[in-house]
Amino acid sequence: MLDGVLTGSVYALMATGLTLIFGVMNIINIAQGILVILGAYLSYTLSVHFGIDLFVGLIITIPTLFVVGVVVERLFMARLKGPERTSMSILVTYAISLIIEGSLNMIYSINVVQLKAWYVDKSFPIFGVYLPYIYLFGFILAVVLLTSLYIMLYRTRFGASIRASLADQVAAALVGINVARVSTICFGLGIAVTAAGGMVYGATNAFNASTSYDLISRLLTIIVLGGMGSLGGALLAAILMVTLGDVVAVVWSPIWSSPTFFFVLVIVLSLRPQGLFGKQSARVA
Amino acid sequence: MTESTSFLRFEGVVAGYGGGDVIKGVDFDVPQGGVTCIVGPNGSGKSTLLKTVSGLVRPRLGQLWFKGTPLVGLTPREILKLGIVQVPQNHSLFREMSVQQNVELGAFLVKDKKVIAERLKHVTEIFPIVAERAKDKAGSLSGGQQRLVEFARCLMLEPELVVLDEPSMGLDPKTLRLVFDTIKLMNKVGRTVLLVEQNARQALRMSHYAVVLENGMLRLSGSGKEVLNNPEIGALYLGGSIKETSSIAAPASKEL
Ligand SMILES: Nc1ncnc2c1ncn2[C@@H]1O[C@H](COP(=O)(O)OP(=O)(O)O)[C@@H](O)[C@H]1O
Ligand SMILES: [Mg+2]
Repeated sequence: MLDGVLTGSVYALMATGLTLIFGVMNIINIAQGILVILGAYLSYTLSVHFGIDLFVGLIITIPTLFVVGVVVERLFMARLKGPERTSMSILVTYAISLIIEGSLNMIYSINVVQLKAWYVDKSFPIFGVYLPYIYLFGFILAVVLLTSLYIMLYRTRFGASIRASLADQVAAALVGINVARVSTICFGLGIAVTAAGGMVYGATNAFNASTSYDLISRLLTIIVLGGMGSLGGALLAAILMVTLGDVVAVVWSPIWSSPTFFFVLVIVLSLRPQGLFGKQSARVA
Repeated sequence: MTESTSFLRFEGVVAGYGGGDVIKGVDFDVPQGGVTCIVGPNGSGKSTLLKTVSGLVRPRLGQLWFKGTPLVGLTPREILKLGIVQVPQNHSLFREMSVQQNVELGAFLVKDKKVIAERLKHVTEIFPIVAERAKDKAGSLSGGQQRLVEFARCLMLEPELVVLDEPSMGLDPKTLRLVFDTIKLMNKVGRTVLLVEQNARQALRMSHYAVVLENGMLRLSGSGKEVLNNPEIGALYLGGSIKETSSIAAPASKEL
């Protein structure tokens, strides 16, 4: 239950990246799941082969994935234009996803691994249960990163240009915002968060490259429920997804935790097709 | 190619959206200091023509000159820097941001906070609503109020040329008059205005120059009065009995 809230924040972080990319660029990044796993493997390599602490390693992995995002955007996404952009983006990012998955399988094999550190093994007591420290540290990390992201978005000039592009690209261009540049940086940021998300995910779950399918379906569900392109919605939906699953698992049965969430999803979407906080207008470019 | 005297010049402009040309060769001059009005039936390409000025649409052929500088190929941002701002046909305020934030974004290209504050003060004198509703979300304003805030925002760059696409669309008669008066005022304080209008009679009356666009080509050009009084045009586009008060006609002329 409590670990649900803690993990929820990490999902929120990964989903925020996804929804930011969709909101600004109308691109659905199917590769987000495998990029989380890539982030986890990068942390794995740094810790196993170089003895670098998982959290310290983020200083390397976050910028690395930011650069990966920028390169992918320049090479592939910037070329997608026109009304078919969103559906094309699903195909292209799926292809990218497969390429990364294949490479990871080759490099790391298909055996599952889990990240190791003292805070993964050691637990602390809280409300009568014991939780590994990583849940707490991961939660703090997610809160710090999400808060920084929000401060950047709501308190800086660059953040204003992102929010303006999120709302209306033509209007943003007409006040002099370089929407193409904002898009590139947003894609980079949206992917950079998978480094942190992947590290915490990899420390709390055993994973291999195929784990990405479970991840991407969860992440997509979160942003659909929250409302495509809505940052606050992604946050709320992530916490809702994880806690709802846990509550059902405790009071009812773990078997029903996923179905219940999807049941809620279907109900919400039939009442509000745009999701909890989505704006219908955000869909039509 | 270009004389130093021309302010904004369209020269053989051909443009579209990839599937056939919408603008099929347009030549005309927008003189400095005046109000120039483009009228024409729905779908004749008026908005597309304006988009070639602001850089949203890149002409396939031809050139646009602004005080001797070629505009084709420049980004909207670069064109803004030259002193041309556009208020598009559809509402373009950022609905979730406050009125003040919206207006400040008009000076996005200005880095100096002090300059932004000064201009904001100046713009507020012309548009009191910017101060009155400063903290309200732009989306909570009425259509007419949003237009005025859009005008305020576009003046933040102190542009030389203001391009307005159907500023009176969907407004009630009282607001419409206010919007037209504001356009005249903007012109009086030194902005050259290029506008497209469906409320053609009223717009032509306050315009120094006018062109009629039909099916992507110029049908007629002259002073506002000449176009207004041209019998052929009067019957075709101004509709002998179009009432300027008609609030029913306005939503019908809305595109999409
Ligand atoms: N974004 C667009 N993509 C494709 N075609 C467009 C687009 N915008 C306008 N058009 C087409 O261009 C033509 C002229 O449109 P427009 O310039 O908006 O006319 P007006 O402003 O005079 O009503 C119309 O046939 C319209 O369907
Ligand atoms: Mg139009």
